[in-house]
Amino acid sequence: MTMRTLAVLVISAIAVTLGAQERTTLIRNATILTVTNGTIENGSVLIRGSKIAAVGKDLTTPAGANVIDATGMFVLPGIIDSHSHTAVEGGVNEVSLPNTGMVRIADAMTAHDISAYRQLSGGTTMALILHGSANAIGGESQIAKWKWGRPVSEWLVPDAPRTIKFALGENPKSANFRPPPGQPRQYPSTRMGVEEVVRKSFVDARDYLAAWDEYEAKRKRGEAVIPPRRDLLMETMAGILRGEVDVHAHGYRADELLMLLNLADEMGFTIRELQHVLEGYKIAPEIAKHGAGAGTFIDWWGYKAEAYDAIPYNVALMVRGNVLTSVNSDSDELARHLNHDAAKAMKYGGLTEDEALRLITINPAKQLRLDHRLGSIEAGKDADLAIWNGHPLSTYSRVEKTFIEGEIYFDRARDLERREQMRREKEELLKKEADAQKLEKKEKTDA
Amino acid sequence: MILRRLVALLLLSAAPLVMADVPGVWAITGATVHPVSGAPIAGGTVVMRGGLIESVGANVAIPADATVIDATGAHVYPGLIDAHTSLGFKAPKEKDAAEPTPADLAIRGVSIASDDADSRLADGVTTVVTAPSRGIFNGQPVVLNLGDGPVESRVVKSPAAQQISFNPRPSWTFPDSMMGVFAHIRQTFLDAAQHAAAREVYERTPAGLRRPDERADLDALGPAIRREVPVVFVVDSAEMVRRAVALAAELKVRPIIAGAREAYAIAPELKNVPVLVAVNWPKAPTDAADRAEQPLRIIRNRVLAPTTPAELAKAKATFALVSGSGKGAEFLPGIRKAIANGLSAEDALRATTLAPARIFGVERQLGSIERGKIANLVITDRPLFERDAKVTRVFVDGSEVRLPAEPKKSDANEATPIDGSWAVSVAAPQGSVALQITLKAEDGTLSGTYSGDRGSGAIRGGSIDGNAFEFTISVNAQEGAEATDWLFRGTLDGDAMRGTVSTNLGTFDFSGSRAR
Repeated sequence: MTMRTLAVLVISAIAVTLGAQERTTLIRNATILTVTNGTIENGSVLIRGSKIAAVGKDLTTPAGANVIDATGMFVLPGIIDSHSHTAVEGGVNEVSLPNTGMVRIADAMTAHDISAYRQLSGGTTMALILHGSANAIGGESQIAKWKWGRPVSEWLVPDAPRTIKFALGENPKSANFRPPPGQPRQYPSTRMGVEEVVRKSFVDARDYLAAWDEYEAKRKRGEAVIPPRRDLLMETMAGILRGEVDVHAHGYRADELLMLLNLADEMGFTIRELQHVLEGYKIAPEIAKHGAGAGTFIDWWGYKAEAYDAIPYNVALMVRGNVLTSVNSDSDELARHLNHDAAKAMKYGGLTEDEALRLITINPAKQLRLDHRLGSIEAGKDADLAIWNGHPLSTYSRVEKTFIEGEIYFDRARDLERREQMRREKEELLKKEADAQKLEKKEKTDA
Repeated sequence: MILRRLVALLLLSAAPLVMADVPGVWAITGATVHPVSGAPIAGGTVVMRGGLIESVGANVAIPADATVIDATGAHVYPGLIDAHTSLGFKAPKEKDAAEPTPADLAIRGVSIASDDADSRLADGVTTVVTAPSRGIFNGQPVVLNLGDGPVESRVVKSPAAQQISFNPRPSWTFPDSMMGVFAHIRQTFLDAAQHAAAREVYERTPAGLRRPDERADLDALGPAIRREVPVVFVVDSAEMVRRAVALAAELKVRPIIAGAREAYAIAPELKNVPVLVAVNWPKAPTDAADRAEQPLRIIRNRVLAPTTPAELAKAKATFALVSGSGKGAEFLPGIRKAIANGLSAEDALRATTLAPARIFGVERQLGSIERGKIANLVITDRPLFERDAKVTRVFVDGSEVRLPAEPKKSDANEATPIDGSWAVSVAAPQGSVALQITLKAEDGTLSGTYSGDRGSGAIRGGSIDGNAFEFTISVNAQEGAEATDWLFRGTLDGDAMRGTVSTNLGTFDFSGSRAR
């Protein structure tokens, strides 16, 4: 078999697995962790096309359905990671300016980051892929599903809200991003400066909008008027003011988080989600009052100056304080087993099983404003889910199959099968290459 | 006339490669003529007069005033067009030299060393499309004949296009990330549209309005925005090609994709986008263990890259084969590799003649042997793309160019300029990182070792093409931390080198000097 036909076979095998559009799958005899409607023992999930068609105890098998017997297994909604930097090419930071709201993660997303596939193997199906934290206002972030094997344009969730990264504290004041020797350090270098950058950006945005309003008014009156510059950065800032762009703000300390919440109130926009927020337990009422969510780590602390006051009870305290809380990764590695970090919230602070599961499913779905179609096992929602061989809150459990929109993107058995195939393909390609090189060398010597 | 002769004589003595200044009348007879626009003609004749092709065919009368070249047994082709090069442009010596702008015409800056021109002519290339490869907006490429005579007399089309590369600037200079480059391109096109609108309003009603600034760089984008000239996007991987095609659609410009070495998997998507495929195919690491360590995707892309032209042919896409960056030494070997990977010799010929002529809108002047076209012709002793074929005579604008006696072959044993030890300094955010790197180039592959505070070992994935090189090393950022890859991309300039290092923490500048 030639390399080429092998490659075609592999691709068509994937295509067959991924299957046709209106395929029907019935997962039965499973423990269904619906997250929003409790647990269904010996339950079934019916998937039709890209959606969950029905969930319940006694579903009949439709004709032609692909039936998966999941006896002894668990079904959990796809885990949603509200803080990821996976699948970005050419840098997640545009470092050059204090405000880089004109750049877009979507432009740099790649379908070849193997971490996306590894995350599928941990039941994670979707993430908010954020710009880095090198500047006070970073670029537009992107919500995407890990549709491994598809062009990256299909990974982007088309109706997801626009989002942007803000950052407070050490990183945007250049403590961790220093220009090479001889080049001046970039403004700002203090927390005061970070606040000023954010405030100034919105003052500028208001001026920008006013300039355009003035232009439109003059134009309507028939006056000769030169159009203002269409500025991509200001367009993004204006989008935030109009409520079209959700702010996800990186920050650690209570004082600066409060600063941002107050600044947002002053400027007339809302912080959708505070990211990291390790001191959130100190200001849970204020966070809840503003209407912000919190995406945090369960037990990471002490790794930098601003992470010293972190406590593992942060999650439970924020949940009890009515803050919409998620546990997220900020890490290719952790994103593969967010279920473990959710489980730790039961140990630290005594969340219930359901509360723990919500931290990685429906809560991040709400933070991303996609809970109408994601984050739980309910009829009508996207069929993004994973079949686990045990309870997902146990360290001994692992994922057998991961679905996105009704298609299987990770299948443990198939993965194991394909390893040999891929090993052979690699061997054959290397041999082909070595043979060609030998030939070239020989031709050179002949010449 | 006498003065003309005198000048010619002077030129002859000054530049021994010049054979004639005035194109004469020539008849090449007895050869297999490959007009490209039609089927090959056995025992055909081509007549050139005054720099143009006067007639071509099996039964063509030979003019009485023609100098006859008996080419029995030989082959005649249109001069090859290498439609994407940076020939005649060097990396500037000053580190903070200004980037090109959209207003820059390549024809104003091009300066092709005669050695470089000779080696291209010896490959049968009579025309290049060239522009600097620096910066994001590279300026406006020129379609230029090689050969003798002042550069103005050799221009076929200028400007031929706008050209855009996705080169981030050094760290802490906007844009220093790839996504930043996209934002910068978008903003520049928005600014160009705004500037045009502002000028229109102002020209109509200057009284009471602040006059717009003079912005030649923005004005220069007008023809691209109006789709009068195409925009060449220089991109390599399949994903970069897709990004560029999507950006072109967003900007509503006419794209030409240049590079596209790994586009084999997305050939059907390129049916309606002209592609200039660079045939300087990706290089394998010299060490077998290094090769085996690479992930399947990298190996697959590298090994299947030379199938890209065949896949594009299958998809009925419009494509040309080009040398890409560097001095073009890999042009013919690269084309041969594409043929070995499924491209027909006929398609390869079209992709180096008529296809690039059409892509740049010069098909009425170049790309085939037809009456009235520019007399750029190449005579070979065997079919052009056969391994042992030799280019024996070359005509540009109807004048013969003398070829170098023995075309310079790269000698594997000859020391190449990059060989040796280098002291390299990387400007990382936490301070500069010093490395000792020993390099050796062989057939475009770069091997060597590195050592320094952050670890030591063999370099991987090294390649060199002209002055441009790249290689990867593994670096331990912190003690006990997992090693990460640093990808060096740089240019060589005598005893100095510089460029950028891509790391998981960002892209940094590096510079190096030869260790004594």
